[in-house]
Amino acid sequence: MPAVLETADLRKHYQMGASLVRALDGVSIAVQPGEFVGLLGTSGSGKSTLLNLIAGLDRPTSGTLRIFDQDLAKMSSDELSVHRRRNVGIIFQSFNLVSTMSAAENVALAMMFAGVPRTERDGKASRLLETMGLGGRQKHRPKELSGGEQQRVAIARALSNDPHLLLADEPTGNLDSRTTRDIMSLLKDLNERDGKTIIMVTHDPGLAREYAHRTITMLDGAVVES
Amino acid sequence: MTLRDTVGLALRNLGQAKLRTSLTTLGVAIGIASLAGMVSLGVGLQDQFVGRFTKSGMFDAITVLAGGDLPGPLAGGGRGRGGPAPFGQRGTARGAAAPGNARDVNAAALAELAALPGVRTVYPNVRGPVEAKFRGASEFAQAVGIPMDMRGEGAFQSIPYGRFFTSDTEDACMLSLDYAKRMDAEHPGSLIGQTLTLNYPMARRGDAGAPSGGIPIPGAGGLSVQRAELQCPIVGIVERETGPFAAGGAGAAGLMLPLGKAKAMYEGSPQAAAAFLRDPSRTSVTYPSAVVRVTKASSTQDVEEQIKKLGFQAFSLNDALQGAKRAFIILDIVLSLIGSIALAVSSLGIVNTMVMSILERTREIGIMKAIGGSDGDIRRIFLIEASAIGGFGGVSGVVLGWLVGRVINFGANVYIQQQGGTPGNLFSLPFWLVGGAIGFSIAVSLVAGSYPAARAAKLNPIEALRHD
Repeated sequence: MPAVLETADLRKHYQMGASLVRALDGVSIAVQPGEFVGLLGTSGSGKSTLLNLIAGLDRPTSGTLRIFDQDLAKMSSDELSVHRRRNVGIIFQSFNLVSTMSAAENVALAMMFAGVPRTERDGKASRLLETMGLGGRQKHRPKELSGGEQQRVAIARALSNDPHLLLADEPTGNLDSRTTRDIMSLLKDLNERDGKTIIMVTHDPGLAREYAHRTITMLDGAVVES
Repeated sequence: MTLRDTVGLALRNLGQAKLRTSLTTLGVAIGIASLAGMVSLGVGLQDQFVGRFTKSGMFDAITVLAGGDLPGPLAGGGRGRGGPAPFGQRGTARGAAAPGNARDVNAAALAELAALPGVRTVYPNVRGPVEAKFRGASEFAQAVGIPMDMRGEGAFQSIPYGRFFTSDTEDACMLSLDYAKRMDAEHPGSLIGQTLTLNYPMARRGDAGAPSGGIPIPGAGGLSVQRAELQCPIVGIVERETGPFAAGGAGAAGLMLPLGKAKAMYEGSPQAAAAFLRDPSRTSVTYPSAVVRVTKASSTQDVEEQIKKLGFQAFSLNDALQGAKRAFIILDIVLSLIGSIALAVSSLGIVNTMVMSILERTREIGIMKAIGGSDGDIRRIFLIEASAIGGFGGVSGVVLGWLVGRVINFGANVYIQQQGGTPGNLFSLPFWLVGGAIGFSIAVSLVAGSYPAARAAKLNPIEALRHD
């Protein structure tokens, strides 16, 4: 089975004022199907930049970035949006739910962009929220939900278009330790039971070692331990 | 993303900011109201003008003259004046009205003109000198024949005193108000029902110097001129003289007779008789000119061309109407430009609202991009928001413009009536204007929304997600 993700000499440089920032400076990694990878590093190590490139939210400066055998570096802006809605589901530290929409509407929004008909996406959003234990919270706005509940809505949204790859950027960074364990075991379930490949960015080595199969540690834009 | 979902999302977004949306929509509505109101005023004025003047018979009338050599200013300018060509050949190079094809305006010609497509009616111009006697005073006047179908048109649209003729051969006359005032300055209306005695010359065949008392016409053997008399009750007085074209005559006339009556007088006149004598081949009376009225003022030009092809000279005031229409187009443009100022301001309001909305929703745009929204999806959401503002604003603007127009119209008509004028619709709101105004509103909003929409579409998702 081919790798879900494979990068070769991936670089992301950008200009900040007068200085050139080498956010990623020659990263070559591979992630196999069904893996749960923890991406470790301090703030500014480039781990979030790498995740954004994998998510298709940004473009590399050079190198190759293959996901399911497609080179993201060569994709147009429209192709990248297709990649984001089909191949990956993204979970953020700050949840990033649309504040004016209910939990169910937030989940359905992702399917709306994928062109799923209304009745189908409403039904699926409802089922996903139920499996997340939010059956009674469907009509609630994000601000009426706790942090853990919001993150579960975001996970339901990430799963709505059935991607193989889940990308989580500090998914428990805004949560207390009890909720952190809830969310982490939910992700572990998705990995073990549903076979989702997960790449999770975190600055907490303990959390990564406890839940991930393996960790990749980054420093100053390069992989130092894999 | 389906169009239906895009529209739903756009309307939902507008609903999230109700106050801002409704204020912006109100701005567009005022802009469209001022534009639609101004154009509506232009169209209304044009309808009033063209309507009244078309009814006056000025623009659907073609004056037809005999082809060929005709004295007088209308036959001048070389047209139809070919003259004898070299080698005794008849000049034909001057077109249909060349002498070779010269046509008289006689009964056969009138029938031929009446048969042309697009012609409503044809009547000869009949006029002649009469001596009108009233209460011992006498005055020379031109009497002009008025066809029955001028009833309600032109100078006869309103008859301040009395009535129109009841039959084509009635012994009756109508006067212009000026003429009537010369007879009775204080109470022109009191002339109705009074009798005018008309004396006119009539040719009579007979021996010269016969005891009939006629004056023989020199060189016209056997013809003499007699004085005929007609007792003619005054049935109506019209405000305006029948102008050069309004009644199809060649000049204003204060005294009007039914056309049939006038024709009978003309046919017996020395003028007509003399023409017979000059050219014995003539079989019927010829008239100096005739008037052709067309069914639609717009076909005047075509009919005029056809008449010229038949060998007559013809002219109309159609060109003047075209000039007037051009003037109205310019008026419409000026009015729309004035009306557009408010719309231009409100389109800036749209830009402002959309830019504000994008600033507020930057993070939301980032989220939508992160979960799979394409640049095009984002652009369409904002364009549809802008066009919805334009659509709502356009519809309410047309309603608003119509209401304001009704109010102004009402006020203006009260004033016009006080001044003794005829009230009318100064504002006209045809369907094309309603549709055009709403369409234009949407189009302007789309243009105004295109910059903010492009800006939203090009937002970098990572930066947008960092936005608070």
